[in-house]
Amino acid sequence: MTREQTELLQGTLDMLILKSLALGEMHGLGISRRIEQITRGTFQVKPGSLFPALHRMEEEGWLEASWGESENNRRAKYYRLTKAGKRQLETETQRWGRISLAIERALEA
Amino acid sequence: MRRRRADAELDEEVRGYVEMLAEEKIRNGIDAQEARREAKMEVGGVEQVKEQTREIRAGHFLETLWQDLRYGARMLRKNPGFTIVAVLTLALGIGANTAIFSMVDWATLRMPPVAKPEQVASLIAEDTYGGWDDGFSYPDFADIRSQSTAVFSDVAGAIIFAQDGLSADGNNEPIWTNYVTGNFFQTIGVKPALGSLIQPLPGNSADDESVLVLGYAYWKEHFGGDPRVIGKSVLINGHPVAIIGVAPAGFHGITSLLDTQGYLPLGMAAVTSDATKDFLTNRKASTGLTIITRLKPGVALTSAQPVLKVIGQRLSAQYPSTDKWKNLMAFALSPTGPVDDPQSDSIVKVISALFLILAGLVLILACLNVANLLLARAFGRQREMAVRAAVGGARSRLVRQLLTESLLLALLGCVAGIALGSVASRFMGSINIHMTIPLILDFQFDWRVFAYAFGVAALTALLVGITPALRATRGDLNNLLHENARTATAGSFRGRSALVIAQVGGSLMLLIVAGLFVRSLWNAEHANLGFDPSNVVNFTVDPHQAGYNEAQSREFLKTLLPRVSALPGAETAALAATVPMGGIHYGAELKIDGYQPSPGEDVHAGYNAVSPRYFETLRIPLLGGRVFLDSDNEKSPRVAVINEAMAEKYWHGEDPIGRNFALADNPQNPIEVVGEVKNSRASHVAGPINPYLYFPLTQKYDYQESVTLQLRTHLPLATANREVLGAIHSLAPVMPVLEIQTMTEALDTINGLLLYQFGAALAASLGILGLALAVVGVYGVVSYGASQRTHEIGIRMALGAQPAQVLTMIFRQGIFIVSSGLVAGILAAAAIARLVGNFLSGVSPVDPLTYISASLLLAVIALLACYIPARRAMKVDPMVALRYE
Repeated sequence: MTREQTELLQGTLDMLILKSLALGEMHGLGISRRIEQITRGTFQVKPGSLFPALHRMEEEGWLEASWGESENNRRAKYYRLTKAGKRQLETETQRWGRISLAIERALEA
Repeated sequence: MRRRRADAELDEEVRGYVEMLAEEKIRNGIDAQEARREAKMEVGGVEQVKEQTREIRAGHFLETLWQDLRYGARMLRKNPGFTIVAVLTLALGIGANTAIFSMVDWATLRMPPVAKPEQVASLIAEDTYGGWDDGFSYPDFADIRSQSTAVFSDVAGAIIFAQDGLSADGNNEPIWTNYVTGNFFQTIGVKPALGSLIQPLPGNSADDESVLVLGYAYWKEHFGGDPRVIGKSVLINGHPVAIIGVAPAGFHGITSLLDTQGYLPLGMAAVTSDATKDFLTNRKASTGLTIITRLKPGVALTSAQPVLKVIGQRLSAQYPSTDKWKNLMAFALSPTGPVDDPQSDSIVKVISALFLILAGLVLILACLNVANLLLARAFGRQREMAVRAAVGGARSRLVRQLLTESLLLALLGCVAGIALGSVASRFMGSINIHMTIPLILDFQFDWRVFAYAFGVAALTALLVGITPALRATRGDLNNLLHENARTATAGSFRGRSALVIAQVGGSLMLLIVAGLFVRSLWNAEHANLGFDPSNVVNFTVDPHQAGYNEAQSREFLKTLLPRVSALPGAETAALAATVPMGGIHYGAELKIDGYQPSPGEDVHAGYNAVSPRYFETLRIPLLGGRVFLDSDNEKSPRVAVINEAMAEKYWHGEDPIGRNFALADNPQNPIEVVGEVKNSRASHVAGPINPYLYFPLTQKYDYQESVTLQLRTHLPLATANREVLGAIHSLAPVMPVLEIQTMTEALDTINGLLLYQFGAALAASLGILGLALAVVGVYGVVSYGASQRTHEIGIRMALGAQPAQVLTMIFRQGIFIVSSGLVAGILAAAAIARLVGNFLSGVSPVDPLTYISASLLLAVIALLACYIPARRAMKVDPMVALRYE
């Protein structure tokens, strides 16, 4: 896999995670399910890529985590957006908008 | 710790995910067992997921660190002026700390290289007078050794620091030796560099083999490091011994402060010196044996104490006339060697703490300067940071990056500081202690010093970086982009002023402490010593080192004195066993007719043994009676001359002439007081003068002791040296002269002025450093403030303000900073003064003169630093200023 591809894929996953957390805090499985739901099943995120991404984004300062109770009274780690994360989502959204517009135009030409 | 928790949390998180997935499937109607299996399959291995996550975390950390380092290095390269000033400032601070810490390390931390030093302890007896006795007789040692096998695996003894003469190939040189029991090296666990060490023999009798182990440095210096010395025969005090080995490099004996140059078997002490002739059998022996023990593995020092206490009680009950002990105890080996007085040990620690605090203060001042520079830059970078934050840079991430930058600065400062510090400590190590003792002033940098320097640097990075980093990243983009440069920095000025006020305060505190030390030195140098040291030259000889016996020694000295006195240019000459402020002091317990000591009182006086014209030579005035005469000799009745303090204390101001007293260990021989002289100082230039007395050299002189010939003369030093050495060597061609110095030089010893000089020099250096740093700080903030107000000044001048008014305006700011700093500094100095007070002579720790003059000095220099930017502001051209933006 070349570097550009990784970054693109990583960037996409990051954006989806940020987007899915925009409405409120969620645990890992919740985020997976939410991404599936908002992409209508196009993306299925496996724990092997989900957890590394969550932890990296936490390090980056975009996410904050805390332990809470799940719907079945199980202890679960909940993630939520920080201020920096919200700003990051905005930038990513704009950037994605520009890229997809450009690609769309390129393909239509 | 943190990592383990993070790991456990990760585990719980991933496992929780699997469980929840399974529960989800169960809710969808899948059988529980099947649901779990499917969930596990989908996740694809809990451990694998965890591993991938961990890798990402670690990789991410390293990657950002590398990014930050590269970015930081680029920023520092882009502003070479800033970088150089900041690194140099930090280097001064870190260098001062490293240099002082290297001394503290030397004095309190560097252990002698013995095996498992934590098991090694020395013994001290607390005597019935409340004093401490660390010298034991050989019979005491043998008893303690045989009775303490329950707690000690071995007990060794050593007469430490005997002064002998070693003659090899026709040269006679002084050598500082230890006389050690055969198990000494085995007990402390030291291996030879060459040959063999002294071996355990059955008992320690006078028939011990006549062998010598050389100290490593002595071997290098006097024998050129020649391995063929093994087996060589040399003379110790005229007695033949064979060199059998060399002690390892870095091992200086049981102390790391003094260098032991040779080791001899204990039994030889009875042969090489008459003073210790009956040493092995006499429980009353005046020469003390230092007892070194090794605790059995697993036995704590505290559990040895009760055992020793019982032994001590048993021995003092058995031998009440010699073993006057209240308690016998063990002290862990300290870097200064066996603890001889538990109190003096803590003084070293207080001095160390004091100078570490002062050096720390210098570092804080340096840090404040650099923080100030960074803060100025931080406001410049606020916009850069705000923009980066706007595109998703988390604040913690930006702070970390700025901190990495200051860490880089601190590391550069640390490297430069270590270089500066090692120059400074080499310089301090080269001071002349004016004593013949082999003091090791080697403040070499070991791992502890480096660790300290890097620790200090890390702390510095945080101290210097955190405020600017927080400030730089605080900005809100919207506000910032709309503000102009001037208003954006208005708030910064207050913060920077506060830092400079702290700086002026800290610097004043350093100056005041330096002032107190300098005043104290001045007092010490001008103290009335009670004798006149000018125009006196001292020559120290020790005839027993040339193999002289008692009769030969006495004859030599008796012939030498008239010859020297008759030299052209000699005013008077005298012989004395000790020199004021010198390294050797004698004292004795007394029994005084008609004096009733209070219970537990130690009837004690220091003494010197002198020839008749001693008082004339040192110009110590006679108050009553007479001085010694040539007729006071071995055969005549014993006499003494006493000082005022002794007359006051033991005869309550009544005329002491004609009264009798005796030495407590020789009560049958009364001594008559024949004269009283004025008080003079034998050791320490400050503090009370204690009872002191003088014996005729002919009556109280142990020929093993060194003797100093003191000559009062107006001859140039070189001429006097030549003449006196000629006289000595015409009588005794191989007589070693241990020391030649003027009496004035001889005052600069550890017991005299040296510590005052050292303290004053050290405190003054730190004070000057602090002053320089504070002046730079004041200058920086005032000129920055003035430049920020250029626009305002332009308007004011355009509206008709006079240059003088502008000057006052800028100055007012400086005066506010300086005066606030002065108040803070005076309060801080008064707080630390209590700690300093113990080391001052004749000056109060809150001495108003020192406080006022230090404040004035700082105020004048700091206001001069304000004057330069104020003048510049005054010359502002309104037109230029108004366009300035």
